[in-house]
Amino acid sequence: MLRTGRIVQSATAARVPPHTNKGCVRMLTTSPTPAKQVVKTDRMRSTAFTRKDLVEKRVRSGTATSVNMANANPIYYEKLPKLHVETLNSRTAISEHAGKIMQIDGSFLQGIGKEHYPGYLGNDFKLFGVPALLYRKFTQDLVDQFNAYKEQGPKRASVLDGKNGIGKSAELMKLASVAASSGCIVIYAHSTVPWVNSSRPYAPQSHNDQFMQLEITSGLLRSIEAVSKDALKKVPLGKALVIGKRNLSEQHTLADLVSFGIHTPALAHDVLEHFLDLVSTQTKVPVLMAIDEVNTFWCSTLYRDQQDQILPANRLRLIRSLLPFFEGEKTLAKGWVLGATSYINPRFMPKELNKKLNPPPTAPLANPELANNPKILASQPSLPFDTIKISGLTAVEAWVLMHFYHRMNVVSTPVTEALVAKKWMVSSGNPRQLFAGVTTFI
Amino acid sequence: MLHLLGVNLPDQKVVSVALTYFYGIGPQTARKICSQLSFHQECKLSELTESQLNQLSGVLSEMSIENDLRRKVSANVKHLREIGTYVGKRHAMGLPVHGQRTRNNTKTAKKLNGHLLRKYSTCSKTTAFGIFQAPVSKHY
Repeated sequence: MLRTGRIVQSATAARVPPHTNKGCVRMLTTSPTPAKQVVKTDRMRSTAFTRKDLVEKRVRSGTATSVNMANANPIYYEKLPKLHVETLNSRTAISEHAGKIMQIDGSFLQGIGKEHYPGYLGNDFKLFGVPALLYRKFTQDLVDQFNAYKEQGPKRASVLDGKNGIGKSAELMKLASVAASSGCIVIYAHSTVPWVNSSRPYAPQSHNDQFMQLEITSGLLRSIEAVSKDALKKVPLGKALVIGKRNLSEQHTLADLVSFGIHTPALAHDVLEHFLDLVSTQTKVPVLMAIDEVNTFWCSTLYRDQQDQILPANRLRLIRSLLPFFEGEKTLAKGWVLGATSYINPRFMPKELNKKLNPPPTAPLANPELANNPKILASQPSLPFDTIKISGLTAVEAWVLMHFYHRMNVVSTPVTEALVAKKWMVSSGNPRQLFAGVTTFI
Repeated sequence: MLHLLGVNLPDQKVVSVALTYFYGIGPQTARKICSQLSFHQECKLSELTESQLNQLSGVLSEMSIENDLRRKVSANVKHLREIGTYVGKRHAMGLPVHGQRTRNNTKTAKKLNGHLLRKYSTCSKTTAFGIFQAPVSKHY
C-alpha cells in the first residue's frame, strides 16, 4: 500500500526539495516527454492588433465601426479584398455608370489631403481600404447641371440640403473630383467649422472691424493649387497687380498669384480676394466653388472681439470674401457656386436659416377667398440661394451598396432581396443609417 | 514651464486655463484677457510668440493680481477690524461674516476667516477655552 502524501507531484514537474521528500511524496509516472514551458501571457497587452512602425492617426470615435484595418492582426481579421473599381473622372462620369461603385480620383484626394475628408468618409475609406463611393443618379444630375453651367454660370448659388447622413458632403466631393479631373478650377472646402469654432489663430485688422485668419486662408490657397494646378496656369491675370511690395504683371497667371499667396501668408487674404475677383470674371476655364458646411457663413462664431463680444461670421475676412457668392452679389461668369449644409453641429446652424431651409408644414385654407388673400398667407421664406434637396437611396442603389458591403466583408451574411428591403425601409433610404444598420450588432 | 510674473505656467495648457493659475484671475477674466489680445480658444502657451507674450505680460502687469491683490485683501480686512465693524469682529473671531448659521457648519469660516489678522505664533493652537483666540487689540 502506497503512502499518500500531502504533496502530489508529477515526475515532469520541478523537483521537490529533499527535506519534504521523506516518505510523504508519491511520485506519479507520466509520459517521458518534457514539459512545455509555461508561457506567461501579458494581460495588459492586446494580441488583437499588431504594432506597426508607422504611427496611424486614431480613428474618430462615434462611428459604427472603429476598426483600423491597417493595424489589424491578420490572425483575427481577414485581409481586405482587393476591389477593382473604375476611377470617377470626367470620362467615366456618364449616365451608364449610375448605380455603380466608383473610386474617387487619387490625385484629387492627394490634393485635399488624407486628413481632410468630410464627415465620416475618412473612416469609411479606411474600413473599405479604397476611397469608393456609389455613383448615384443624383450625382449624374449634378454633373449634367455643372456641364451646362460651364458655358454660362447661373445668377444664384445652389446649396445641397437634406437630413444627416443623406450624402450631401459625399455628393459635393464627387462633383469636385469630376470637375478637377475635367480641367476646371476647383475651390473646395471640405469643412468650414474650423473657420468659426475658434480653433485657429485670428487677428484684428487695424483699419476696419474685420478679423484675419491667415493660416486658414493660406491653407485654402494651398488646396486650390494642389487640386487645380494645371487649370490655374491657363488663366493669365489680364491686368497688373500690386500686392504688398510685389508687382505681378499681366503675363503672370493665376498659378503665380496663388503661389505668391502661399509663400507670403501675411498677404493671403489680399491674394484670395484678387483671385476670387479674377476667377469670377474670366471665361477661359470653368470654375466650381464647392463649400461644405456653408451654414457657418451665417452663424455666430466662437471667436470674440477685443470687447469680449461674440463675432458674427461676416466679420471674418475669409468668410466675408466668399459670402457674396452665396448671397447673389457676385456670380461666376463660367461655372457654379455650390454649397452643402450640415446639421451635425447645431451650434453652427443658425435658427433663422434652419427655419427657411425647413419651413413648418402649413395646411391649405379651405375658404378660397382667405387662401388668396396675401395678407393672411404667411410670407414665404426667401433665401439668397437655390436649395437642392437630396432624396434617399432608391431600392436599386441600396441593393448595389449592400453588395459592395458584402464584398468588402462589412456584411458577412449573404445579401438577399429580403435583407436589402428590410434595411432600406428601416433606414428610409438614408445611406448613413443603412451603413449603421448593417454594422451595429444588436 | 513658462515663468511669467513670478508664477510657473504649464506650457501645454490652453492660455485661458493657464492664466487661472494666477491668484486673482478666474475663467471669466482669463477669457476676457484672451479676447483682448485675440488669442483663439485652443491656443496653447507654447504656441505664443515673443511679442504675444510681451503683450500678455503687459496686460497682466496692469492688473491687480498675486501679491498686490493679497495685500489689498489683507489691508481691507485689517481696516474693517481697526474701525471696529461687525465684519471686522467676525474676521477676528474666525466666524462666518455674511450672516450664516453658526450652530453647525462653520468649518470653512473657522479655517479661513481672520488668517490675515492672526499673528504667526510658535505656541500651540489650542489655547484656553478650547478655541483659537485672536490677539487682543487695543481698539476694542
